[in-house]
Amino acid sequence: MKVLLLIFMSCCLSAAVVQPGIYTSNNGTVTFRSEAPFELINATSKEMKGAVDISKNNFAFRIRIRSFEGFNSPLQREHFNENYMESEKYPEATFSGKIIETINYEQKGKYTIRAKGILTIHGVEQERIIKSEMELTGKSILISSSFTVLLSDHQIPIPRVVKEKLANEIKVDIKTELLPK
Amino acid sequence: MLHKTCLTALLMLAAALLQAQEIDLNKMLEEEQKKEDQKKTNYTEATFKTTRIINGHSIENLAPGIMDFKVSHRFGTVNGGVYDLFGLDNASMRMGFDFGITPRFMVGVGRSTFQKQFDGFLKYKILRQSSGYKTMPISMALVTTAMVTTLKISDPSPYYFSNRLQFAHQLLIARKFSEGTSIQITPTLIHYNYVPLATDPNDLIAIGIGGRQKIWPRVSVNAEYYYLVPGYSFAGTTNSFSLGVDLETGGHVFQLHFTNSRGMTERTFITETTGKWSKGDIFFGFNISRVFSLKKKPKKITGA
Repeated sequence: MKVLLLIFMSCCLSAAVVQPGIYTSNNGTVTFRSEAPFELINATSKEMKGAVDISKNNFAFRIRIRSFEGFNSPLQREHFNENYMESEKYPEATFSGKIIETINYEQKGKYTIRAKGILTIHGVEQERIIKSEMELTGKSILISSSFTVLLSDHQIPIPRVVKEKLANEIKVDIKTELLPK
Repeated sequence: MLHKTCLTALLMLAAALLQAQEIDLNKMLEEEQKKEDQKKTNYTEATFKTTRIINGHSIENLAPGIMDFKVSHRFGTVNGGVYDLFGLDNASMRMGFDFGITPRFMVGVGRSTFQKQFDGFLKYKILRQSSGYKTMPISMALVTTAMVTTLKISDPSPYYFSNRLQFAHQLLIARKFSEGTSIQITPTLIHYNYVPLATDPNDLIAIGIGGRQKIWPRVSVNAEYYYLVPGYSFAGTTNSFSLGVDLETGGHVFQLHFTNSRGMTERTFITETTGKWSKGDIFFGFNISRVFSLKKKPKKITGA
């Protein structure tokens, strides 16, 4: 009897170490575009970290601002970090919250979902509901989404001198594949 | 009795299991990011906003494929009074083109109206300030400048072309202390092939010190001082001191300053300054720097 109890306890303890239902990724792609009358700017990062907890239907994503590359010149990237995003003060942008729809994670397929949460850019939080496509392949979760970020929503001012070269409405595309942790 | 113990044990285990699932996703990602950051080296960027502090070189290099067009003006001394419009009537100009070749190496050429000089330099970055996995407290670079005076000389004795050449060798040691504060030390050796008096040294030594302090976004105050080492300088010369403001816009950097040096090449402003701030021998000047990319635009990034 005692032996049985011991075996049962050790099984339970080992189960407690596994984290069921958490899918993560640390190489998600984020691309943003600014389309202004006199200039097109785009940049990409392949270092977005993400996690989805399927048991609670919630998620978290974060990305290091300095990981964006592309731009039209190295000087533009320097200005992006030093003057606009102030990456020294706010090194990361995050989005975390809950998925509104109830998903049956056991069922493979493509779903359109709404992710409701707090989007923090340049240290300023905004509550957002972002429509995304989620695909359950049985082995992983693929998420892709396109949405708009307004610079004015996150206290990033556009100087008058560059008004025609930088759009207030920034188009953002994300794509990531999350695997079980 | 045993039955009760089993039940209690089971309940405790169940509680422990449930607690293990209370994971804050944000905290989890944050910790992962921290672990990754520890393995990453962050190289300091933008110690200064352009490749010159005021007159002299700053630790900054141009990225490969970038050209910097520099136009610099120095006016006459302000103590000339209203008649000369406080020096604005006497302007000398330098035009220069700097090119970034590799991430550590850049070159430049220029011409000054003052004494009709041509100058060319090579600059190599030896150390880059960094934090994180690999730390380096300073950035260090080596600059060598060659200057040639093309002014017509009326000298009875034979005057060789090599007489017209001077060379400056400088070691730039800089540190960005914070987002808005950077300081640089510049030991300098200037060699003159030909000096007018036998008592003049051919090799002159100076120690430069300069810095930048950001005062609000895109605006900073810069200062630069070159101390001439006694015994290795020309008689009657003074130490060059300049004070100015940097304004940065999209692709331009405007530098407006006051200096007691008339020239804009290393040998003229470091070793041939005769102006004295106390006497009002102050020259107003400005530098405009415009950066162009010589590379083809990067390939269009297709959407996610």
